[in-house]
Amino acid sequence: MTYSWLGALPLALTFAACGGGEKPRAAASGGDLLTIGYDREPDTMNRYATHILEDIESCVVEGLVVNDEKMNIIPVLALEVPSTGNGSVILRPDGGMDVTWKLRAGVKWHDGVPHTSADVKFTVDAINKGDWKPESVDGFDRIESVDTPDSLTAVVHYREVYAPYRLQFVRGTLPKHLLDGKNIDAATDYNRKPLGTGPYRVIEWKTGEYILLEGVPNYWRGAEFPKIKRLLFKFLPNTTTRINQLKSGEVQLVALVPWDKVRELRGLPNVRLNQVVGNGYEHVTLNQKRFTPFADIAVRRAMAHAVDRDLIVNTLLDSLVTVVNGPIQPLSSAYEKNVTTYPYDPSRARALLDSAGWVTGADGIRAKAGKRLAFTLITQSGFAIRENVSQALQKQFRDVGIDASVRLIDGTSISSVWFKGDFDAMLHWWQQGADPEMTLFFASDRMPPAGRNINYFKDDSLTAMLYASDRTADEAQRITLLKAAQQRLAVLIPELPLYNTAKIDAVPARLQGFTGNPTNAGPFWNVYQWQLTAR
Amino acid sequence: MIRFVLRRLAQSVPLLLVISLLIFALIHAAPGGPLSTYLENPNVRPEDIERLRRAMGLDRPLGMQYLSWLWAFVRGDWGFSYADGRPVLDRLLERVPATLELIGVACVMALIAAVPVGIMAAVNRRFDRVSSLFAVAGISLPVFWFGLLLQLVFAGALGWLPSSGRASFDGGDFADRVAHLLLPATVLAAALSAAWSRYLRRAMRDTVARPFIRAARSRGLSERTLLLHHALPNALPTFVTVVLLDVSMMASGAVVTESIFAWPGIGSLFTEALGKRDYAVLMAFLMCGSVAVMVLNLVADLAVHALDPRTRDAA
Amino acid sequence: MSATERNSATSNRAPRVAASLLGVLLLGAVLAPALAPFAVDALDLANRRAAPSSLHWFGTDELGRDVMTRVLFGARVSLAIGLVSALVSAAIGAAVGATAGYAGRVADDILMRITDAMLAIPRLPLLMITAAVLQPSVPVLVVLVGLAGWMETARVVRAEVLSLAARDFVSAARAIGASPLRVVMRHVLPGVIPAAAVATTLAVGRGILLESALSFFGVGVQPPTASWGNMLYQAQTTMTSEPWLAIFPGAMIFLTVLACNAVGDAIGAAKG
Repeated sequence: MTYSWLGALPLALTFAACGGGEKPRAAASGGDLLTIGYDREPDTMNRYATHILEDIESCVVEGLVVNDEKMNIIPVLALEVPSTGNGSVILRPDGGMDVTWKLRAGVKWHDGVPHTSADVKFTVDAINKGDWKPESVDGFDRIESVDTPDSLTAVVHYREVYAPYRLQFVRGTLPKHLLDGKNIDAATDYNRKPLGTGPYRVIEWKTGEYILLEGVPNYWRGAEFPKIKRLLFKFLPNTTTRINQLKSGEVQLVALVPWDKVRELRGLPNVRLNQVVGNGYEHVTLNQKRFTPFADIAVRRAMAHAVDRDLIVNTLLDSLVTVVNGPIQPLSSAYEKNVTTYPYDPSRARALLDSAGWVTGADGIRAKAGKRLAFTLITQSGFAIRENVSQALQKQFRDVGIDASVRLIDGTSISSVWFKGDFDAMLHWWQQGADPEMTLFFASDRMPPAGRNINYFKDDSLTAMLYASDRTADEAQRITLLKAAQQRLAVLIPELPLYNTAKIDAVPARLQGFTGNPTNAGPFWNVYQWQLTAR
Repeated sequence: MIRFVLRRLAQSVPLLLVISLLIFALIHAAPGGPLSTYLENPNVRPEDIERLRRAMGLDRPLGMQYLSWLWAFVRGDWGFSYADGRPVLDRLLERVPATLELIGVACVMALIAAVPVGIMAAVNRRFDRVSSLFAVAGISLPVFWFGLLLQLVFAGALGWLPSSGRASFDGGDFADRVAHLLLPATVLAAALSAAWSRYLRRAMRDTVARPFIRAARSRGLSERTLLLHHALPNALPTFVTVVLLDVSMMASGAVVTESIFAWPGIGSLFTEALGKRDYAVLMAFLMCGSVAVMVLNLVADLAVHALDPRTRDAA
Repeated sequence: MSATERNSATSNRAPRVAASLLGVLLLGAVLAPALAPFAVDALDLANRRAAPSSLHWFGTDELGRDVMTRVLFGARVSLAIGLVSALVSAAIGAAVGATAGYAGRVADDILMRITDAMLAIPRLPLLMITAAVLQPSVPVLVVLVGLAGWMETARVVRAEVLSLAARDFVSAARAIGASPLRVVMRHVLPGVIPAAAVATTLAVGRGILLESALSFFGVGVQPPTASWGNMLYQAQTTMTSEPWLAIFPGAMIFLTVLACNAVGDAIGAAKG
């Protein structure tokens, strides 16, 4: 082959590329511009209509409360978080509940109009009016009315007890003076450049390219905030492109770095990796309705013992996450540590299956009464870690005589697949909010379409505990019920918990004040105090 | 000639109808829908999904949805995006200039490279061997891989060029635009020029081998005259057909390249709309793409007609 | 055939080398289970991302699987998609194009409008949607890629037939009363083969690349099944740290396309 030198061209380019990462591009910005590589463009900046993460929105529109980096609910536009303890939550004899929100004085919308309780009332009314498309009306539809005894007090009357009331206004309020009488879906001006009270406002939204935010001059926390003048969110849907831009210095911050990319970013001189434990857990959902052997508790326990979670975490996940035993994570106040666990023990798994009558066939796969332990494990395609973990699981199940075939489904299709219950087993996580409610996922009557119980799992005593916890406004009592529910779940093991999620954000080494956030509130919750120090 | 054009246009109407039915059926057959992304959020309850389905008109029978789409479409009402509620036409039009810019520049780059290389390769055997290797390299590198490689080298290691986007947010002067355009246009042009130079070389070789050229050669005409005045004009019809077809394939945007380079064209709009199953945008995108290809096809046929000395004489 | 053409076709060893290379690749694909040093699904989590060594000639991947084994098994998938789909495309395209070009205006109109319609719908987007509907598997992708590629061949063949049909020797054949089928088979089709051969050889590479583009959007060949395209896709972020994951499948695609082109050129030159 006389021309084989040409075959070396991609090779040479590859090695040339190896030198990358050492030489950062002179970043254009000093301390007044932070460029963020963002994985998707929002559909709207209206926090109530968006159905994806609200990072950009939350820089502009503030909630009455926010989840901090420890998952505590802390007040923002509210003076305090209402609770039964401070007398601002009253249980009515008729079974209803009144929540009094005291608003912070002196807060103005960016156009100078004061932020008042009328905006709170307008928000509830607008959402309940139903003439536009808010993403979720959860909680709002239980509100009977809102009273505004004065401009800084809003009393929210619920028809029934609603335990997650504290997060009712985490998405903030809608400006009454701007939107009253308008069709909110068609209010393009608001939806593209929302009026907020936050540290930033939208200067320019260039579709398909970026959103530029600029600090407001008279932010209510004080003129020294926000410390960074401008935030530029560049839309870079392709992960590799996003990581390449971070390496070249064209973007300085990438939130939620995929775990398999973390290795490449270690050692970049201008990048710090900020890691917090996420409030979610990866698990294998076992659909009892579709694949009936999962209804056999021996099978579920054997599968739990068959999986070497430590090996998976220490190898495929580079020890970025830790093994978990249930749906509520240690950072939640409702977390229960003392639950039944299922350590890796393949011989125990085999023994469990043997004694339950699952006999190994000629092909090495167990069967009972003609039904083989062979199922399909689905997971999301294009999600490198899941593609790898599902194949490791496949091998570990195979070692105890269970045959799992892996099928990857694209991100859009997979949600309709599970919503229809059209799968045997699924490797995934839920994007959970800060509230520890589990009813939606485990109560017997919450199978789709009524909820997310896609294990199609029924247990009456668990269901009773979960509903009781929902109807308890007292925090301590609610936690007691939720802890008992976690113990029950671990005994019955309707799904296989694997490991928690890690939220890893790549930020500039000289960025101060960044903490990350375990909830889907996102890392921008305290953006007003971020600061870029001199090199 | 005018009658030919009119006939073709008339024929395209039923074709477009069939195409619209086909793509409507296809995109609705794909699992998921505009509400799929909402399902990921556990706070969105079944009641919410049902409410949104009704509000978006997705609860109507599919046939009804198609007919109402068709009726609105022919009247010029392309509807509203399911994702952000803005008019579909706005969403498409704001993306068209970026795509035209990228494809236009890439085609010019590709032609500048392909035409001389193709002609040279047809004449000079040694040059042919070398250029064919480059051509193979050009077409055997997956676009996404080549694009990422260029990013790593020219934006990462060397730091000469921006790795993606169409312009700096605060710059946007001519030099900045060119710098942003260079890598994605190169990626597109590489594959195009490789294919085109091979086609031109082949077409010229075939012509050179034909009796009339051999006759001309035996009359003592110089190779140069033979090639430029006889072989090239005869090779052009095939070549132009190929070029126009390739260009029309990209009328719907360079989906992969735009995705890699975060280029804000209609190709990346498609990728986004497919992920969100934004039916309104997908329908409009595919219909526009189809119309654009049909028009370019017609142009290709007219060009062949005008360029080919034989069919021209026959007509 | 001109003197220079004949001379080059015989003196140039490239086509023979290329044909042997293709043969070796095909043989490797067919014999993959026997040749592969490891089982295709063998994981070794303790030995991930190992550089090429005497044990793993091409190194190991994210799951500790042997890359050489996967390249061999990937050859089955990629070659099937590339070659079979190209042949499907060529057969349909040549038939449609020749008929349209020679059988008269009505047939031409109908066939060309169908071709236009197929050509009109943006291809990659159409494939992405269709693959999402059908759930991608190797046979589905072979058929889809083949069905997506015949239109260019049809157009090129038709243009070629039209210009051939207007030429003296074809007119002469018609004038002496040869049947249309005979004229097409004896005089027109042979003249069309160079163009069709070039289109087909290019289609092999395009088919393999189209699959990799579909992999890029998550609707190509699905892991754990390996194709060169999806191996390359999975290697995209480790190009700098583990280049062997990208180089071997990339080199295979390159060699295959190179070989197909050389063979196609030789066919074209010999028949031309």
